[in-house]
Amino acid sequence: MDNAIEVRNLVKRYITYERKGFLTKVKRIVEALKGIDFDVKRGEVFGLLGPNGAGKTTTVKIVSTLLLPDGGYAKVLGYDVVEEPCEVRKVIGVSLSVEKGFFWKLTGRENLKYFGMLYGLDGEKLKKRVEYLLDKLGLKKLGVADKLYEEYSLGMKARLSLARALLLDPEVLILDEPTLGLDPPSARALREFLVKLAHEFDKTVLVTTHNMFEAEMICDRVAIIDEGRILSIGSPKELKLKVADNIALEILILPSPATDLDRLVEVLREETEATCSIVSDVNGYRLKLIVPPNRVEELTSISVRLLHKLGCSVRRVEVKEPTLEDVFIKVTGKKGF
Amino acid sequence: MKMGKIKTLLKSGVLLDLYFFKNNKGNFIAMLIWPYLMLGLVVGMGFLFGSPSTFKKNIGLNIDPIAYFIASTVVMMASISVMWEVGGNVLFLRWLGALPYVIVAPHRMSIILVLSYVPRYLFYTFIQVVEFLPLLVLLEGVTAGIIKTLIMLLAVTVGMLPLLGFSALFASLLLIIKEESNVLNWLNPIILIFSGALYPTSLMPYWMWLISRVLPTTYTVELARTIALIGSPELAPIMFLIGILMGLAVVYNILSYMLIGAGEKSAMKRGII
Repeated sequence: MDNAIEVRNLVKRYITYERKGFLTKVKRIVEALKGIDFDVKRGEVFGLLGPNGAGKTTTVKIVSTLLLPDGGYAKVLGYDVVEEPCEVRKVIGVSLSVEKGFFWKLTGRENLKYFGMLYGLDGEKLKKRVEYLLDKLGLKKLGVADKLYEEYSLGMKARLSLARALLLDPEVLILDEPTLGLDPPSARALREFLVKLAHEFDKTVLVTTHNMFEAEMICDRVAIIDEGRILSIGSPKELKLKVADNIALEILILPSPATDLDRLVEVLREETEATCSIVSDVNGYRLKLIVPPNRVEELTSISVRLLHKLGCSVRRVEVKEPTLEDVFIKVTGKKGF
Repeated sequence: MKMGKIKTLLKSGVLLDLYFFKNNKGNFIAMLIWPYLMLGLVVGMGFLFGSPSTFKKNIGLNIDPIAYFIASTVVMMASISVMWEVGGNVLFLRWLGALPYVIVAPHRMSIILVLSYVPRYLFYTFIQVVEFLPLLVLLEGVTAGIIKTLIMLLAVTVGMLPLLGFSALFASLLLIIKEESNVLNWLNPIILIFSGALYPTSLMPYWMWLISRVLPTTYTVELARTIALIGSPELAPIMFLIGILMGLAVVYNILSYMLIGAGEKSAMKRGII
């Protein structure tokens, strides 16, 4: 079985009541998921990327057996989340919120011991696991393992939340916005840990985020979700290529005194069939070529070869790809307020 | 369910309370003082209405009012505590944001709610009953004091069994209804009224009396009164009430096992966990 998580035609509707008068309410049906499909391969970090209210949390709650779908199915390691929730719960670790979910009057260590026992660990096994996780997530190093949870910073709470998700050493981790509200060093440490978990310890990670930078940094594959539909799915690189009409290739050159710059631009235009322009830079000249995304590598090597031939020293080549944010805006059509 | 799992669930309940007391000593002291405060309040209010001799005359038995109120306070407090703790636990966990993490434990929700609460109940009630032992010995002598204490312990332990199932049903109702604090606010006083805690069931309209017969709290209230009124050990009426409570324990625990799953499903369907 290659897929750790399999989601097919998943549908979820919420019924809400809007108050219209003192005694009257109007029933409203909100379609949170409109039939989504995706697979998460074993050992990969898969990101669900979407704006607020897109259906990310609904999806992870269904996969975590905390919410029942109205249609379709979701399976974790082959277990159906509706038919076999107990089996699913044995193989997953869940973190839905980094800022709550623990007992405030217990220390980090005590909270982990309590939840460990609730999840069926006991004795020496529980003790060893708790110590290992406190150490691995840096809570011992920070000297806060025996501090009350109410004294924890958000970064410490996030680490503890991840430690709880790892108590049963699950094969699949399901994390909802794990770095939300964290300061940059804490967020970075957590991201690095997640990548390590997937690539070194062979864990499958399903993570939701609306942070494009984070998705690009940690996810092997990403699904862009909006208004209950998956709009695009693939690796960040694939997604970027999919939406990019053209890519800018910037080459920093140091021409010889004899080089005719107008001629150089003309030759490049003819040979590459790309739009080409040149501007002076403090370090030399910046040559800009607008190339189709499927010919980036080919045209880069042609340009570099030509530039050498025309007596230019190539200092730097930069491919200005669109960011995941560009992809997101293009795919969702959302421009903000 | 395997014995090992039951053991770890019970232990998790013990662990949670030990940690709470260790980190919150004020809470522990309050727990020790609380029964005496309640007793002081009840006896103090009683004195507003008449002397101990008036009390004896009214109930027609030669019994110390303080001893009477000790027994009723202990049993009443224990039964109210079961309802609040097991039912209210869902509310507390939801407020903490810990409910999803309890639900993803590989056990049934009703079993977690009940089993992780049992040690706390036994511990609290044992402490409360034992706390009153010196006072009972002082009022009624060594033998009678110890016997009454032991009967109280038996009553609160047996009284707990149907209340656990009943309270788990209560918890499932809280899971289904989103505005749970409203439920807690109105349901608990109604249950106490129907159980005869505030007004004798014998004086209620017939339909209210019928409802009171299916509530386990009715029998714990009656048990409290019976224990409180015995001057010498008379076990027959106590055993009769204990028998009814045991029967109700079977009914309510089976019902709760069946229905809390439905409550959990309804909450999961509506997305309110």
